[in-house]
Amino acid sequence: MTALLEVRGLVKRFLGVTAVDEVDLAVEPGELVSLIGPNGSGKTTLFNCVTGYLAADGGRVLFRGRDLSNAPPHRVARLGVARTFQQVSVFPRLSALENLLVFLQQLQEEHLLARLVRTKRVRRLEAEAVERARRLLGLVGLSAKADDAAGSLSYGQRKLLAFAGALMPDPELLLLDEPAAAVNPTMINQMKDHILALHREGKTVVLVEHNMDVVMDISQRVVVLDHGQKIAEGPPEAIRQDPRVIEAYFGR
Amino acid sequence: MRRAGWLGLGVIVVAAPWLVAAAVPRQQRYVLHVLIFTALFAALALSYDLVVGHVGSLSLAHPAFFGVGAYAAAILATRAGWPFLAGLPAAALAAAGVAALVGVPLFRLTEHAFAVGTLGLALVASVVANNWVEVTRGPLCITGIPKPTLGPLAVTTLPAFYWLALAALVAVGVLYRGLTTFRLGRAFHAVRDNEPLAGAAGIDPLKYRMLAFTIAAALAGGIGALYVHYLSVMCPEEMTVALTVNLLVIVFLGGVGSLRGVLVGAVLFTALPEVLRLAPTWRLVIYGGLLLLVIVRSPEGIESLLRRVTGARAGR
Repeated sequence: MTALLEVRGLVKRFLGVTAVDEVDLAVEPGELVSLIGPNGSGKTTLFNCVTGYLAADGGRVLFRGRDLSNAPPHRVARLGVARTFQQVSVFPRLSALENLLVFLQQLQEEHLLARLVRTKRVRRLEAEAVERARRLLGLVGLSAKADDAAGSLSYGQRKLLAFAGALMPDPELLLLDEPAAAVNPTMINQMKDHILALHREGKTVVLVEHNMDVVMDISQRVVVLDHGQKIAEGPPEAIRQDPRVIEAYFGR
Repeated sequence: MRRAGWLGLGVIVVAAPWLVAAAVPRQQRYVLHVLIFTALFAALALSYDLVVGHVGSLSLAHPAFFGVGAYAAAILATRAGWPFLAGLPAAALAAAGVAALVGVPLFRLTEHAFAVGTLGLALVASVVANNWVEVTRGPLCITGIPKPTLGPLAVTTLPAFYWLALAALVAVGVLYRGLTTFRLGRAFHAVRDNEPLAGAAGIDPLKYRMLAFTIAAALAGGIGALYVHYLSVMCPEEMTVALTVNLLVIVFLGGVGSLRGVLVGAVLFTALPEVLRLAPTWRLVIYGGLLLLVIVRSPEGIESLLRRVTGARAGR
């Protein structure tokens, strides 16, 4: 079986600091993989290199065998890779519903003139998008907030909205950057359930997460980064006992 | 009820030349002139708001595009004898061409640097207009630009030109509305609100910024053409930074990103200084005071004030 996402020898340097150092990573279709490591170990940088937000200094990123190394974010997104951001990220002046619509419309069509004159086809696609957006708002419990500006929602609600946005285009690969950070325990459980539900649907998920309970609970495989290098990889039980991982987190 | 209100307003606006003739027969020409200016400024401000209000890039280059269109139309009409209906699209294209050319490097700059870069473009355009005497006649101005003709129809009277300007404003308004709502508007607003996230949603931010910038420039160029055919003269002073200041006042005090706000702003801040001529000594003081009042009382512009009023009424 070929990997859905393959990262080969990825290198990213910031002013002489090597944030990602020759990292290899392969994610099989349908897998739920977690990326962990102490602060500054290069997890988010790796995400940013994969999704086109940062240009890597070396190595390659392949998605379904296609080279993503020089693709800008919007192209990566259109190929079916969705991501969320660590800093909660929404379009504050758009309504919650519109926040979700943005994520589907560009993948459905991008015909400027058809949009301007609102052809029948575009209106039909829009109606489909609205229907899907309402369903996802329901899924994350934000139906009542559909018409509220996203900027007026609470932190947790915005986090859920951003998560629902990533789901809008029904992506093949989801990269979630700390979905359980800075939210209350109820919501952490909610997030866990959402991610597991995606996994059951057969989606491929890569998770960056600090909350070890979440990671150990739901991941099939855990990859550990430290100082930009991959120091361990394996099933959660093995990672929990790996001396290198314990050392990276707690010191010698 | 609301529909009736809008219909009434429309009738008044369209019938304005007759109403003016009936109400102030002695000042008819002057009042119509102010109304024509108001319509042209409103259209120009709407085009400007496409960039400032909807993709959130503070461009200060609008006078350059207005000027390129104005000069293109003026030169084509006086030297090449082009009819108005050929000069108008040519002027729009010329301005859009300049925008497309400078847009890509300018949008590499972010926020304040972008504003300064576009200000540079406006200044350069103004210097060129003043000094490229062979083409623009510099401070001597291009004179004798003929009145516009629409096929067999010659727009020679003030009321006729008022209706032409009004038609242009309606056209710009309809286009503005189409561009800033539904899927296009949503894409523009996504880029404005959160550029990195827009990328994750599959939107190419540069593409949408360029789209708004180029369309706005084309509209400004077309309005420039109308403007010179109305005044029959084009001078470099018409495209100075003072024009940017006027546009900024209209858009930001009217209501950035809002059709109604920009229109109200244009009416208020184009017509008001003229009305205040009744008190010539205090004219600029009153004008400045009103600007301050709006900014202090309603920093988001008159539009937010209007929304509060109508919202409060609907709530009751």
